Amino acid sequence: MANKILEMKNIYKTFENCEALNDVSLYVEKGETVAIIGASGSGKSTLLRSVNGLVRITKGEIVLDGEVIASSNEDTEFKGIKGGAIKQKNGSTEAKYLPDNLFKEAICETGMVFQHFNLFPHMTCLENITYAPIKVKKIPKEKAIERGLSLLEMVGLKNKREEYPAKLSGGQKQRIAIARALAMEPDIMLFDEPTSALDPEITGEVLSVMKKLADRDTTMIVVTHEMGFAKEVADRVIYMDSGRIIEEGSPEEIFYNPKTDRLKAFLSAMIKTN
Amino acid sequence: MNYFSIILPSLLRGTVISISLFALTLILSLPLGIPIALGENSRIPLIRWICKAYVYIFRGTPLMLQLFFFYFFFPIYLNIRWEAFPTAVFTFVLNYAAYFAEIYRGGIKSIEVGQYEAAKSLGLSKVQTFKDIVLPQMTRIVLPPVSNEVITLVKDTALASVIALADLMKVAQGIVNRDGTLYAYLIAAGIYLIFTFIATLILNNMEKRYSRYEEVM
Repeated sequence: MANKILEMKNIYKTFENCEALNDVSLYVEKGETVAIIGASGSGKSTLLRSVNGLVRITKGEIVLDGEVIASSNEDTEFKGIKGGAIKQKNGSTEAKYLPDNLFKEAICETGMVFQHFNLFPHMTCLENITYAPIKVKKIPKEKAIERGLSLLEMVGLKNKREEYPAKLSGGQKQRIAIARALAMEPDIMLFDEPTSALDPEITGEVLSVMKKLADRDTTMIVVTHEMGFAKEVADRVIYMDSGRIIEEGSPEEIFYNPKTDRLKAFLSAMIKTN
Repeated sequence: MNYFSIILPSLLRGTVISISLFALTLILSLPLGIPIALGENSRIPLIRWICKAYVYIFRGTPLMLQLFFFYFFFPIYLNIRWEAFPTAVFTFVLNYAAYFAEIYRGGIKSIEVGQYEAAKSLGLSKVQTFKDIVLPQMTRIVLPPVSNEVITLVKDTALASVIALADLMKVAQGIVNRDGTLYAYLIAAGIYLIFTFIATLILNNMEKRYSRYEEVM
């Protein structure tokens, strides 16, 4: 049995009368690259963002690195907390989570890359990368800088160390953002449509960095519209629609042997637009 | 020329008072605006309500009225005898903190959600997020409107003369009344202009320094 880095069990998320996630279960093994595809509004970003708490789930259980970080299951006990559902002020319910400080510690094992980069504009590229390792992980500054520089080299932007993000192109910004997430040495990388905000001709430079990571057996989940990337790099592809996982399998199965009509329709629509 | 050298020393003494009032007001009200701005966005209704009411009252009434109010309030109701100067500082700080809070609130609002999400995903604490991510970006955004208020404050200090503070305005007024010539007003005007000129220079410099990471168009 391979080592499961992430396990999400029967996840539900309700946004004011809208079921964004409807009984979704997902696991990711160490070293695996999982691509999540699907139309906009299918719940794929919501699923990814619920891994690190940017979205708080209504029901279900999340196990990160063998540690339960959230659970609505009353039989589950984690860090002395009994699972369960908590009524929120606005009437919705939320699964029980680890207390804030422990939760923060736990999600340091995840690194996230956003569609719109979200770099800190007032910090240089190197500062963007070294800030969290120094301030959150308390790594000595020299060590953080040394590691930051090697990450800059890895993404091919060592010469931009003193530049501010405003001076960079979109593709460069995203590569810095990847380096920033990697600097925390996470066990799993989460990519939320990392190339969707980029001009088509520069998506390649970001995708090739991601491919390099996959080749180095970085564990990653990639929410993407880049079918080529999913086909070529992913070990497993998940197709989502209206808050559910419709199909899941190897890239060959998903792209050359789709079983459901929904996936067939989605794939032919993607081919037309590409 | 002789007349000038006679009135100049007392005008300069008034200037020192004006500058002290100006500096103390800034030093105290600029930071005081931050907790009020945060309070206005607080999740706790009572805190939110108090901060909003505070800002509403101090921005909604004349500064001169506030000066008179506190000038008489302390001795009459609290039996505390305060000189004109501390009363003026107290009132100015409360008044300007309300204006700064409003400016800060807008600045905090203009920080993109993505910045908070990035901070959260990197495991930053709330304090770290505010101090190292929000505050520096906010500073750049609020600097122009804050500069405006600072220039206004230079001139507003003259209002303190209504509670008999011997500031530049009050001294000039006294000389004019005594001697029946307007020279003292002219000199005072010149001093205020130099004052605002220096303040503008410093603020422009700060704006330049804080916008170094801005987009180059």
